[in-house]
Amino acid sequence: MSDDKDKPQYWNPYVGGVLLGILLFLSFFITSHGLGASGGVNRIAVSVQDLIVPEHVDKTPYIAKMAGGDRDPLNHWLVWEVAGIMLGGFVSGMLRGRVKLQTYRGPQISPRTRWAFALAGGFLMGYGARMARGCTSGQALSGGAVMSVGSWAFMFAVFAGGYGLAWFMRHLWQPEA
Amino acid sequence: MAPYDLVASLGVTGSYLVYLAIGFAFGFILESSGFGDSRRLAGQFYFTELAVVKVMFTAIVVAMILVFWSTALGLLDYNEIWVQPTYLWPGIVGGVIMGIGFILGGYCPGTSLVSVATLKIDGMFFLLGHIAGVVFFGETVGYITRFWHSGHMGFFTLPELLHVETGVVTVLVVCLALAMFLGFGWLRSAIYGKAE
Amino acid sequence: MKRLPDLRVPGALTLLLAAGGLAWHGQPSLEQKWEFMAPKLESRLQEREVYIDPAELLDLINDDYIHLVIYDVRSEPYWNEFRLVDSEHMLLNRLPAERERLRGLPDNAVIVLVSNDEKLATEGWKRLMVIGKPNAYILEGGLNHWLNIYGVSDEELDTHGRASLGKPDGTLRHRFKLALGDRHAASRPDEHLTPDREYTSRVRLLKKIEKAGGCG
Repeated sequence: MSDDKDKPQYWNPYVGGVLLGILLFLSFFITSHGLGASGGVNRIAVSVQDLIVPEHVDKTPYIAKMAGGDRDPLNHWLVWEVAGIMLGGFVSGMLRGRVKLQTYRGPQISPRTRWAFALAGGFLMGYGARMARGCTSGQALSGGAVMSVGSWAFMFAVFAGGYGLAWFMRHLWQPEA
Repeated sequence: MAPYDLVASLGVTGSYLVYLAIGFAFGFILESSGFGDSRRLAGQFYFTELAVVKVMFTAIVVAMILVFWSTALGLLDYNEIWVQPTYLWPGIVGGVIMGIGFILGGYCPGTSLVSVATLKIDGMFFLLGHIAGVVFFGETVGYITRFWHSGHMGFFTLPELLHVETGVVTVLVVCLALAMFLGFGWLRSAIYGKAE
Repeated sequence: MKRLPDLRVPGALTLLLAAGGLAWHGQPSLEQKWEFMAPKLESRLQEREVYIDPAELLDLINDDYIHLVIYDVRSEPYWNEFRLVDSEHMLLNRLPAERERLRGLPDNAVIVLVSNDEKLATEGWKRLMVIGKPNAYILEGGLNHWLNIYGVSDEELDTHGRASLGKPDGTLRHRFKLALGDRHAASRPDEHLTPDREYTSRVRLLKKIEKAGGCG
């Protein structure tokens, strides 16, 4: 890897992995479930929907389970965990001066292009995460650690999808070949 | 024997604070590992960055060892921990979609939260898209409900699949992880000709 | 970045060792799990938390919103002589095979174990708790008590009188002329004909708190 001084001082990934693994274990130990993220975002989305179109929410079974009638979709541990993730990310960023309004992008594309793709990618991620009933935090990490077959299949599918498309989208991330 | 009934011992607010703390640690570790940076994340798929596979698999292996040692010693009750039920086909299809989303978007849901927390605009767009995708799913799942429930194998674990016991599976997973670390490292050298 | 010592090889070896140790040690057997869980289970039993009155069982039977499973753990002769309608004959050594089914039970499922007195059913309850964590209870006083309340009609009785509950010996102390199994009147007491009986309700419905472990 090139040694430029501007390179951010991130933790050694193995260190991060060990710490994350310990955290994941503690999560199972204390709370009986693993980590999660997209479920929390899901509920926030649903609660916004509930504010705008409550009758529709009541009538759509998938959403009604979370927010129909009196149910408060935000009254759920996943939402708190999401809040914690943002807080933790923020504090970590602050401590290292990485909280800056900017756009991360590959060198070949403009910020606007990046935003468009981020939007599209996010859309697919949101849809896919619901489809798979989890995201990399929930399904892959947590389900993988407790040996769920579905989680492992999911994990490999994600890698397959990513690597499959990577070459065709390289202009998004790679410098001019 | 763990896990404990959190709400019973700490009350609802107390339990939520625990989740907040866990989330905090999660976000902190993610950001410290540079996962708030879409370039670092996407780099995994170009072999310029290997952090994703290293962090993920190390975490899984460490957690797995700790969890199953705890159950072995009677400190943790396996019956009580949440094991994701397997819905094979939606899991695979959803996974592929997420892989595509990863390349296009550069984040996954958890890391996008960290990105937004450090004011990255691409992360914010990603999160907006994520919410839209989630809403879209909620609105359209009715049409694919049969598919969404297909391949339902319930609680199906690797030991049950491979007819091999938990400890042996753990060894296999460790070997897999180590093989992946080595393999990806070689691939990177092969492609870019640089040592780490 | 300060150079950490290269711990990759020792780290990998540690992981392999820990995993190997796990394979060697193995996961706890049912008996071991029992030992681990014994203190908590014993105290629940001593507090009589999980013993339900026959009247409560009758209410469960008549409740359409509950998915009720009655495990009758007695031996075959008793099972043939008298049993409750819709009960399942479940010998103790067959319980481990129920694991998958237990996991798949709906949220409103309630399991009740019955035997002639309480001893065998309690044994079954302990085993169930080790195999899974179902919402399970034990019929207080067993079927002897049940029959004391819901009565055996004179035509069926061989001998008269209520069965004594004082010295529970696991036998069915009501005698029947004919082994009708679940076709006795008391196998499914008519709710309109039975005496009203007060009881302290013990059954709690498990509201499975959104155990969506990941992003579910």
